[in-house]
Amino acid sequence: MPALLTLAWIYFRIGLIFVGGGYVLIPLLNHIMVEQYRWLTLRQFLDGLALSQLTPGPLAMLATFTGFRAGGFLGGLVATVFIFIPCVVLMLIIGRNYHRLKNIDLIRTTLDGLLPAVVGLVAAAAWNLGASSLTGVKEFIILGIGFAVFKWTRVSPMIVILGAGLMGLLIN
Amino acid sequence: MTLTEIFLTFAKIGITGFGGGMAIVALTERICVREKEWITAEEFLHGLAFGQILGPFSLNVCTFTGHHLRGIRGGIIAAIGFILPSFLLMSLLSWIYFAYHKLPRLQAALMGTNPVIIGLILVVAIDMGRKQIKGPNGILLALAAFGATVFLKLNAAWVLLAAAAWSLGVSVYHRRHT
Repeated sequence: MPALLTLAWIYFRIGLIFVGGGYVLIPLLNHIMVEQYRWLTLRQFLDGLALSQLTPGPLAMLATFTGFRAGGFLGGLVATVFIFIPCVVLMLIIGRNYHRLKNIDLIRTTLDGLLPAVVGLVAAAAWNLGASSLTGVKEFIILGIGFAVFKWTRVSPMIVILGAGLMGLLIN
Repeated sequence: MTLTEIFLTFAKIGITGFGGGMAIVALTERICVREKEWITAEEFLHGLAFGQILGPFSLNVCTFTGHHLRGIRGGIIAAIGFILPSFLLMSLLSWIYFAYHKLPRLQAALMGTNPVIIGLILVVAIDMGRKQIKGPNGILLALAAFGATVFLKLNAAWVLLAAAAWSLGVSVYHRRHT
């Protein structure tokens, strides 16, 4: 029980720092789990990172893996819940005040003026993912087919993604 | 809108959310904005802007959309629904890993999903851009955000905060001059 409380406190603090931007998560978790508490070796940490990239969901699912190592299934549960509590609470607070804030003229025009930048960031994510995974002609053909399906048909994106995953397993 | 429907929808997004943050956001946009029309495109993008400043934005966008539908309870249910499948799968894989020291051979699946996911993000970016980017100001801002992230490797949260400051300046300027 005290071990679980310690875990909860550690991951809650990580969640608070994490709120400043997701990019600190990996070095921070590495420092705490590998160097400070020595719950994982560096190799195990890197394998866990690979696992969270392979599985669906945010990269922060790394918390489940490291928590599991520290305290089994319950450890993983506590780690996952507590790392996400700060951002969920903050998003709920924002959601609660969003419509009131949007009625203030200056805030609404600022928010709307911001939207092109958000679109730019979405496009940048496509670019970055492409730079690391579009390695050959085959990938570009799959990209083209995917694009056409999403753009001009009403097929559920989930089915397309799962189908592409199965195809990847069969072909490679 | 029942809480069960919210839970099931976000659980489905959680199961298919391969490829990290923006891939999940693109998937959520297709389902919540286009398919179910639960939230307008503008509101969704506002949620994404807040979500990017506050860390794990794929989860944040789900919480925001859930809250929009059914308040605090909707937000919490959406967050749990989204994380639960990943959590169960990750627990199972962690158990296998620490018991047998084996990583599953799933790399090949990603070779199929990654290009498709890029296609999905592109389609969403184009649809959003057509609606949201108007005039030379908007085009410049979108290009600046893209360039700052891709070429200067700046953190998305900082890019958004800078864009917000710029947008606030433009709004104040227009107020003074009209």
